[in-house]
Amino acid sequence: MREAIQYDFDAVVVGSGITGGWAAKELTEKGLKVLVLERGRDLQHGKGYRGEHAPDWKVPYHGKKPREFYEEEYPMANRVYAFSEATRQYWLNEKQNPYVVDKQDPFMWIRGNTVGGRSLLWGRQVYRWSEMDFRANERDGHGIPWPVGYDDIAPWYSHVEKFIGVNGKAEGLPQLPDGEFQKPMPWMALERTIQRRLQKKAPDITLTNARVAVLTEDLPGRSACHYCGPCHRGCSTGSYFSSQASTLPAARATGNMTLKSNTLVERLQYDAETGRIASIHVVDTETRERQSFSARMFFLCASTVASTQILMQSTSEQFPQGLANRSGALGHYLMDHTLGMSGMGLFYDDMDSYYYGNRPTGLYVPRFRNLEGEDENLDFLRGYNYQTATLRMDWQTSFNTKGFGADLKNSLRKPGPWLFALAGFTECLPRESNRMYLSKKLDRFGLPQVAFDMRWSDNEVKLRQDAAQQATRILRAAGAVFTMGEENISPETMSLPGEGIHEMGTARMGNDPAQAVLNKWNQAHDVPNLFVTDGSFMTSASCVNPSLTYMAFTARACDYAATQLAAGQL
Amino acid sequence: MNRREFMQCATLIVTGASASQLGFALSEEQSQYLASAPNYIHTAVSYFNAEQRAIVTAIADVIIPRDETPGAVDAGVPRYIELMVSDWFSDDERAIFDAGLKDLQTRVPLELGRPFVELEKDQQEQILEKLESAAGDSSWYEFGNVLRAFISDAPFICQIKELTVWGFFTSEVGATQVLRHDPMPMEFDGDYPLSPDDSTWSGGLTA
Repeated sequence: MREAIQYDFDAVVVGSGITGGWAAKELTEKGLKVLVLERGRDLQHGKGYRGEHAPDWKVPYHGKKPREFYEEEYPMANRVYAFSEATRQYWLNEKQNPYVVDKQDPFMWIRGNTVGGRSLLWGRQVYRWSEMDFRANERDGHGIPWPVGYDDIAPWYSHVEKFIGVNGKAEGLPQLPDGEFQKPMPWMALERTIQRRLQKKAPDITLTNARVAVLTEDLPGRSACHYCGPCHRGCSTGSYFSSQASTLPAARATGNMTLKSNTLVERLQYDAETGRIASIHVVDTETRERQSFSARMFFLCASTVASTQILMQSTSEQFPQGLANRSGALGHYLMDHTLGMSGMGLFYDDMDSYYYGNRPTGLYVPRFRNLEGEDENLDFLRGYNYQTATLRMDWQTSFNTKGFGADLKNSLRKPGPWLFALAGFTECLPRESNRMYLSKKLDRFGLPQVAFDMRWSDNEVKLRQDAAQQATRILRAAGAVFTMGEENISPETMSLPGEGIHEMGTARMGNDPAQAVLNKWNQAHDVPNLFVTDGSFMTSASCVNPSLTYMAFTARACDYAATQLAAGQL
Repeated sequence: MNRREFMQCATLIVTGASASQLGFALSEEQSQYLASAPNYIHTAVSYFNAEQRAIVTAIADVIIPRDETPGAVDAGVPRYIELMVSDWFSDDERAIFDAGLKDLQTRVPLELGRPFVELEKDQQEQILEKLESAAGDSSWYEFGNVLRAFISDAPFICQIKELTVWGFFTSEVGATQVLRHDPMPMEFDGDYPLSPDDSTWSGGLTA
């Protein structure tokens, strides 16, 4: 009788980032005793945000990047826009924690290093998947069908949106379902001008508010945005959603959460007799002390690659190819979004209008290509969206101007013309050959270093090419006096796999246990008390930013798991 | 701007990075609340000799002079330049800078009979203009070639101009007295009136 066993915890959650925080909140609020394990160091909300609100003149080199140091210690992370000395504390040191980087086809694996994980650093863009996204695999035959549809997830999207706080504007588009929105952030005058022109000259394009997990209205314990600008330095007012500001405090308030930082998971111990995971084995990253904890169930929320790494390390007689890997799909079907500027235009409209405050997002152009029933003759599958940026040129975009003296000073101190940029985010097809695996190299804890084998396919290239062509059309319709577009697009010039930091797949879900690692509840087909709810479960990628979907599936899986546990089914 | 730079540029723009987010090396102790750290230009440095320091100061003053508002010298830019040349430049970049300074130290007295710092302001400006026109082919001047760490083979005049302009508009004096500074706006207004003489906000591209 399992009931008679004394467990250390009801549930162990691995990871304290965007999904780990959600699992901790949902499970503790249902009365379960939960242990949250985080490999990164401890960090206090607010107090730990050392770079917050630091003016430019306080920072060494006034923000110029110390190139050698960064190349040595953070060769991948330092390429991310959010990386700086004001945020460096949140990123994992890559020299101390290496993975195998293929020189020919590098994969950019970006990892967090604190309690809260990458939820402190994320781009905060949150979009619902549509029924079209959930049916994409089924429709074109790439990947396996999703075991769920939009209606299964919609209530969980609402559940998550209400708690995290999302500002946005309802548009009634079938390809981008509306959510529970706080009032949208205001637009710039030029953006209204562009929208007006597009309505006339490119009516197939919707320009709308980005949907962003930044508050425009107060929520309990969190304040509306104060528009200081660089969210990723940390926000002591909790104005953007992070597990630090939101889910972890909620979990802590129940009194049911134990959180251990500096704790790296080595393996899950499978018990062949019960057919379940019995315990989790960890190493303290500071003291190297090893420990194990038993629990009734285990949630992997360590992030896409890291959770699969744990499963791959957890081999046993029953699972020689990795825990819960009877399908052989584990590690495969790795995906990411390609990103980059598809086009940028120069505008001399609304020159007497400026802005006040730093809006922490641009606008958004929802997918408009390959919608069901349209664009039948395109030579690519799936689609893309654009995130936009609007800014005035200033000294930072023109300090390399010729001339000297008062004239130079005067021209550099004033705003120049407007720039409006369209950054395409394209969908990636699930392909078996795109994968992560464990190499023979070991890290400082004696654990295998992860290696990657991932390349963009023709479809991703064609999507980017189309995104660039369409961007030029849109910018011209918008009235740009000069446009510059992404050119000579090939896998070599595109963003690196992983650079989108939307890595997903590697433990995909599906109804068929012979093809999928997880069932429709994020539960391992092969091991009933194992759940994986970070991006690993993704069976296809859509083109929208994925975090909201991870959170919704996590909350849903927690609800299911707690119910099953109460019913004695786990 | 090459393809990858172009893309990085887009990522920066789209995601709203500011000057102060592009990176700098700080120890854990120093980074304890960056906002309460001393200003960067108060970091100790002694790389230039007195003559070199005087030339650098004069050049910074030509590039961004004091007029109705403070100039580069008021903002401590010469100190910023010395720190960057000493602590941030690569060996090759430092060699280019040192040679450029040396050239002004030796050539100017020979040609004009007086050291650079004793020349009239407009004579100094003419010398810098000549350097700039000689450097005109450098990729440093390409439109949009601004979102990168540094151009390692940029000529001396480009190096010192970049450091002067960057150092000035990110300095406390430049950001608060020449640009407009409001670190805690509390609201966003997307249609805020702009008069022809108004300065930009300090703090970078969008943040």
